[in-house]
Amino acid sequence: MAAKGEMFYAWTTNKGLAEKAECGGAVTGLLKYALENKIVDAVLAVKKGKDLYDAVPTIITDPKDMDQTAGSLHCGTLLMSKLVKKYFNGANTMKLGITIKGCDAMGLYELAKRKQVNLDNLVMIGVNCGGSVSPVPARKMIAEKFGVDPDKVHKEEIDKGQFIIEYEGGHKGISMDELEEHGFGRRTNCRRCKMKVPRQADIACGNWGVIGEKAGKATFVEICSEKGADLFNRAVQSGALQAEKAPDAGIAVRGKVEKAMFKLADKWREKDFKGLGEGAARLKTIMVDTSRCIKCYSCIDQCPICYCVECSTKKPYLVPPGELPVPFMFHMIRFVHISDSCVNCGQCEEACPMEIRNSLYMHALQSDLEKMFGHVPGVDMSLPVLALVEEPTERARLSSTGSDQIYDIFKK
Amino acid sequence: MGEAKPPSLKYVPTTCPYCGVGCGLNLVVQDEKLVGVEPYRRTPVNEGKLCPKGVSCWEFVQSPDRLTKPLIRKGDKFEEASWDEALDLIAKKFRETSEKFGPKSMGFQVSCRTPNEDCYIMQKWARVAFKTNNIDNCARICHGPSVAGLSLSFGSGAATNPFEDVLNSDLILIWGSNAVEAHPLAGRRIAQAKKKGIPIIVIDPRYSPTARLADTWLRFNPSTHIALANSMMYWIIKEGKQDKEFIEKRTKGFEDLKKTVEKYADVESITGVPTEKVKEIASKYAAAKNAVIIYCLGITELTTGTDNVRSLGNLSMLCGNIGRPGVGVNPLRGQNNVQGACDMGAYPNVYSGYQKCEVPENRAKMEKAWGITGLPDWYGVTLTEQINQCGDPIKAMYILGLNPVVSYPDSNHVMRSLDKLDFLVIQDIFWTESCEYADVVLPGACFAEKDGTFTSGERRINRVRKAVDPPGEAKADWEVFVLLAKKMGLKGFDFKSAEDVWNDMRACTPSMFGAIYAKMEKPESVHWPCPTEEHPGTPILHKEKFSAPDGLGTFFGIEYRPPAEVADAEYPFTLMTGRLIFHYHTRTQTDRCATLHYEVPESYIQINTEDARQLNIQHGERIKVASRRGEITTLARVTDDVAPKVLYMSMHFDKGANTLTNTALDPMSKMPELKHCAIKVEKIQEAS
Repeated sequence: MAAKGEMFYAWTTNKGLAEKAECGGAVTGLLKYALENKIVDAVLAVKKGKDLYDAVPTIITDPKDMDQTAGSLHCGTLLMSKLVKKYFNGANTMKLGITIKGCDAMGLYELAKRKQVNLDNLVMIGVNCGGSVSPVPARKMIAEKFGVDPDKVHKEEIDKGQFIIEYEGGHKGISMDELEEHGFGRRTNCRRCKMKVPRQADIACGNWGVIGEKAGKATFVEICSEKGADLFNRAVQSGALQAEKAPDAGIAVRGKVEKAMFKLADKWREKDFKGLGEGAARLKTIMVDTSRCIKCYSCIDQCPICYCVECSTKKPYLVPPGELPVPFMFHMIRFVHISDSCVNCGQCEEACPMEIRNSLYMHALQSDLEKMFGHVPGVDMSLPVLALVEEPTERARLSSTGSDQIYDIFKK
Repeated sequence: MGEAKPPSLKYVPTTCPYCGVGCGLNLVVQDEKLVGVEPYRRTPVNEGKLCPKGVSCWEFVQSPDRLTKPLIRKGDKFEEASWDEALDLIAKKFRETSEKFGPKSMGFQVSCRTPNEDCYIMQKWARVAFKTNNIDNCARICHGPSVAGLSLSFGSGAATNPFEDVLNSDLILIWGSNAVEAHPLAGRRIAQAKKKGIPIIVIDPRYSPTARLADTWLRFNPSTHIALANSMMYWIIKEGKQDKEFIEKRTKGFEDLKKTVEKYADVESITGVPTEKVKEIASKYAAAKNAVIIYCLGITELTTGTDNVRSLGNLSMLCGNIGRPGVGVNPLRGQNNVQGACDMGAYPNVYSGYQKCEVPENRAKMEKAWGITGLPDWYGVTLTEQINQCGDPIKAMYILGLNPVVSYPDSNHVMRSLDKLDFLVIQDIFWTESCEYADVVLPGACFAEKDGTFTSGERRINRVRKAVDPPGEAKADWEVFVLLAKKMGLKGFDFKSAEDVWNDMRACTPSMFGAIYAKMEKPESVHWPCPTEEHPGTPILHKEKFSAPDGLGTFFGIEYRPPAEVADAEYPFTLMTGRLIFHYHTRTQTDRCATLHYEVPESYIQINTEDARQLNIQHGERIKVASRRGEITTLARVTDDVAPKVLYMSMHFDKGANTLTNTALDPMSKMPELKHCAIKVEKIQEAS
């Protein structure tokens, strides 16, 4: 019997899934099992749209449809956490299985602190993520750096520090470092990200650390919660999943990969944050850049921290309506409200129509606040330093948990 | 298990219904209802990024104000009717009018907001059923002069290069365009270019949000474009900086230009720009290896519109800036389908693909394609001229998706004119100010409720995909014409889908023959011209030779003319008009989005600080503004963004800018002078 903290190699026994999915297909297999056995009402996952550059969120209620979501799309830059809040009432009234990356997991925790998502009703299957590449830049990168027609590519992956494509007539890999030096590669927030293995999920899965004869045929699985252990055990017992203990050498390899990623992220953080300057110079950089804002509200709409129905940016005495350039107060409000909890998911920057480096500014502020107060957002249910979380009673109740224990915050 | 059944979730990738940039977006559908918009990151046009209007474009779709049933006027009231009843009445009235008064007694107007398929079928119906060319679209009042001017200069009236191509430039010259507000995701390309270090020059009388992106912002007196452009060209030629090889090999008419611009060495008295500054800008433009000109309605909406456009054509050819990446002359098309409405032949002198009606071979070809005889050769009556002809000779009019009472110049004149019609049909999604003058109002479907295509300002044909059903009995607009044609016993309208309509158009349109729906599945889609199914499309025009029959670009010597109405003792101020980022046209859609309404709930006018001081007007004060045509009140925004004696107002509000604007027309394109008129400004005296 698997317990929280244990690690396995696992693979689906469903032949069809195994063929479609990657590296053993444990993620799809687990979610399919959860759906079949009514552990969840539906699964929220990602499927391929027009092509492999087009990641589309989908809701699956028929287990037969689970194979639509098999496989990974590194050019998908969706944030699942905000979708749970926006379109599924924060999973308040339904049980959802969901595949999540590190940023999704962190976003879900921050939303849960704010009573916008009910983690009790979620079964979270985490997937390791070394970063994602926005679809249009990915196509440009493949055309310009790989010299391959992006429409001819049928598979892409990120492995051993390389972006690798398979296309009609061959395959090719180029190191991420080289790509990123030339302005391609992962989104800038992904480069700075240190949430590579989402252990806040119920089960964290991935292919890092799968070595030996199981390489490419099994998924590395880390059990992260009691709920996760229960699902895993049931799936194994029923025969939907097969598993064996992960070997120490595999665990070591996985740890090494994660560590290497951390090192790289630290390098990018230093570079990006330093580039912003300090003090007044930094403020000026931010003011000039944000002065292009056209008030589309995409940064707010996509942000996994923002949830207020009455947004302070819509108080006419703080930000006069209908004015371009948008007064700097608009952005100041966002910095004050978000920065201690920013999870660097990158959505605000990716959605910005005026090329404002929103995510970088917020992440830089968050990083400073983390140094000052020691608060790390998105990893557990501990309270933000500055941002409001409804009533004081809620604060007290939340802090009394003191761990990543998931509990029903919606029940009266 | 949870308590509720999880809702479905469907992303429908489609095209934004607002401006001519053609951004892709996902409509989010849950259990047959629209619930939001999410980024469509896969599209190269905007990479998922959207403006305030794009992100909120789903909100108006399910408004309780939507028209859901046909309405027929009974005396002073409108009564709900069945489709059969309404269409029978329309068929009867239009046929009677046509038989009694002939083809010139009918007027047809189609919006540039509605898909190509609707535009094509409406013009086909008008031409086939009534043998009239009195069909026009609202490009007439935005980029009609671009179609006319660029056709004369280059042989094709469309933008030469794609939006993203500005990133290949060495210099971007933006003239009379406030892209950041009017075309925000084209504005994004400017912001990207700035980050890349590409120099940006903005020529605009107003310090607009776009001017704020510029390295060099040049203020000049409103509507003095030709004098300024001629002076720039004078100095380029004087200093021998023109591209002699390009002029020699690819153009004609240079001597004409050269002679004309000789009079324009010093234009400070006209433009307000010192000669040294003109020389500096001219020399920068001429020195750049690849320079692109981006312009918009500041150029076109004047009685010199076509000449203004040709002047930019002159300038670009003078420096050889046509036919390769990073160069070109690009009008930012206003509406989502203003390019397409023209392409579809909803135009009084051309069929789809700009095939001229006056050419007998073209008529014969269309008659064969449509299975009829007797297509007219005459130049039909244009949009605002149709308004002037209401009552005589135009008796019956069909308006699809337009609100002339608010969006055409001189609203009082429009209302008086519509009143003179015997029979007016308006097909729309909301009850508009113009519906008051209708005899029948038909409920149409909006962009989220029908399939089709919009052609953006870069000639990219973007798919529009149905996400939800239209409300009540509302119908996809092309279907209405299928039904009308059936009632009238017409052949060639047996369409089952929007794609059928598109294919009917392709069959008679060489420049779009290869643009099949299958090619538009992925968001890269295709730029016309695309003559065969194997053809990759044409992002950049005029590469080897110009599109004109002789393959040459044409220079025109063009003299500066002042606007039709200039400030004088009685009306001492100049009014310019424009657009706000938070609204679209007459606000029938944007004002139904709470977020947009919150930003700008009512009209305002920008007035210079010094003028305001002299008139004792405070920021935010309600003031009176009048022209020779009407009088309004609005809120004053006191700012130095506008020059002294020049005021600026957006065109979105009723009893607003267009109560003041002038109907004087550009003789070549029939564009009314929406951007320039004389006004007086008064403080409203409080009753004592």
